[in-house]
Amino acid sequence: MAEHAISFGKLNKYYGDHHALRDVSLDVEYGETLVVCGPSGSGKSTLIRCVNGLETYAGGTLSVLGHTVGDDERELEAVRKRVGMVFQNFNLFPHLTIVENCVLPQIRGIGRPRAEATEVAMAQLDRMQVGEHAQKFPDQISGGQQQRVALARSLSLNPDIMLFDEPTSALDPEMIAEVLDVMQELTRGNMTIICVTHEMGFARAVADKVILMADGAIVEQGDPEQMFTAPKHPITQEFMKAVKS
Amino acid sequence: MAIAALPPPATQTGVGAWLRKHFFSTWYDAILSLIFLALIFWVVSGIWTWGLRDAIWTVENRDACGHGVGACWAVIQDRHRLILFGLYPYEEHWRSTLACLAVIATMILSCVPLFWTVWRLPILWIVGFGTFVLLMRGGFAGLPLVTTEQWGGLSLTIFIFSAVFVLGMPLAVILAFARRSSLPVIARVTGIFIDVFRSLPLLTILFAAAVVVPLVLPDWLQGDKLGRVIIGFSLFFAAYQAEIIRAGLQSIPDGQVEAAVSLNMPFWSQVVDIQLPQAFRNTLPSTINQAVITFKETSIVTIIGFFEVMASGNAVVGTGEWGQQYVEVYLFLAFIYFIFVFGLSRYGAWLETRMRLGHG
Repeated sequence: MAEHAISFGKLNKYYGDHHALRDVSLDVEYGETLVVCGPSGSGKSTLIRCVNGLETYAGGTLSVLGHTVGDDERELEAVRKRVGMVFQNFNLFPHLTIVENCVLPQIRGIGRPRAEATEVAMAQLDRMQVGEHAQKFPDQISGGQQQRVALARSLSLNPDIMLFDEPTSALDPEMIAEVLDVMQELTRGNMTIICVTHEMGFARAVADKVILMADGAIVEQGDPEQMFTAPKHPITQEFMKAVKS
Repeated sequence: MAIAALPPPATQTGVGAWLRKHFFSTWYDAILSLIFLALIFWVVSGIWTWGLRDAIWTVENRDACGHGVGACWAVIQDRHRLILFGLYPYEEHWRSTLACLAVIATMILSCVPLFWTVWRLPILWIVGFGTFVLLMRGGFAGLPLVTTEQWGGLSLTIFIFSAVFVLGMPLAVILAFARRSSLPVIARVTGIFIDVFRSLPLLTILFAAAVVVPLVLPDWLQGDKLGRVIIGFSLFFAAYQAEIIRAGLQSIPDGQVEAAVSLNMPFWSQVVDIQLPQAFRNTLPSTINQAVITFKETSIVTIIGFFEVMASGNAVVGTGEWGQQYVEVYLFLAFIYFIFVFGLSRYGAWLETRMRLGHG
């Protein structure tokens, strides 16, 4: 077993001339819940999208569960089998029913037989309290329900790591709580979680560690209590003031 | 005490009210309605008297044809076999009929969602087209050999159309993905291929396939003339359809593939399970359009010497015997085309409803 669940070493990334990630070094421990915050365009999403290879990086090292994330397709596959991801826009497959959204990736992704996959899918949908909608199509249910289906879909593959990319940013205010509730339940288990979010109350309640990014670099990291009440770096102070008001 | 609701005023319900609302709401509405009513009556009664009441149906009464009476459907009775089977040997027409039914059955079954899996569809097509070719060609089990030069009529039309569709569609999918390839060489070469085939008239391509290719290729590579024509036609179809599919692929949000990637779905599954179903759904009207155009364009193969249904109809009129009855023959041909094209359109409409239902 590798020393850290995820280990970023001086990671760099460019979009053309834009320097999206600057020398990001960070270790995420097993079972830890890490919250990434920072102003938009600061590289938060880019950082977590590197973890399962949705983004490539230009320099540095990145190891996930002992596998090197890079050009090697087999290593990438090994990583993706154990890393789940939930997106801002849910990204459910609109042409498949809710249950099929959760079943198909199991069949195709990890070769689970259909009967077993259906059982797993239903269990996860029930856990996310959307089991009753199993036969509906994604656009027949609300945004909050869709995001919980997306969660169930990822969890059906039994990941060790979950990545949340602003999971509540596209939701109407009254639906945010129902998604945060099920996410909070997840953080109590022994899953390793990285969550990009603007929900500071949630961050404070569940995070083991908080990092703040600006302009592609980590400007400050610490435990949530310190980060929220006594931030040291001026950018962090300014950001915390802005999100509180 | 409850008071019963009054029925709505009679002037606002019923047939009379409906008529008034939709046809006679203003004085110019009324005039237009009456004009069109007269027009419809004139057309329908014309069709009725000419096409049905005064028509001559059997060859025995053919002497009456052309003397100012109704339609002379005797020509269809006399020559329907030529139209439907072309130059195919008379005694073997049953084979052509069965082969035609096999291809029609294959087409209909292909439209049923039950067969839309990676395995069932190819197997269905191999069986369907295999049956067609074996029956048409013969040369085994006591069936006389009939070469493709003698194939003709409606079965040839349907065969060319479905073969072009079945060969062209997978090719179109490949071209569409190749044109979006991240490797510039593949994307450019595919782009040039598509643009070249789209800029050439279909007629040129078919001529090249029938006449030029035999001059260039060695004998063993030439294959059959009909085969070459179908391949040329398929390339033409694929070039157009590839652009339709590409538009469909472009309309899918990036997040769909990202979700599939993050769920570790392999590349082929991203294509077959996620991208293609959505791409086809998004471009269904254009795809049906392309199929209809292709069906009608099959008549062009006449020019390089194939006797499909249109050419067979022309042949009927071309003989002195039935030379006066071209209206009836062309109406019959139009009716055949209409059945197929209308069927395609209705199928497209049904698919759209089904997909909208599936989409909530």
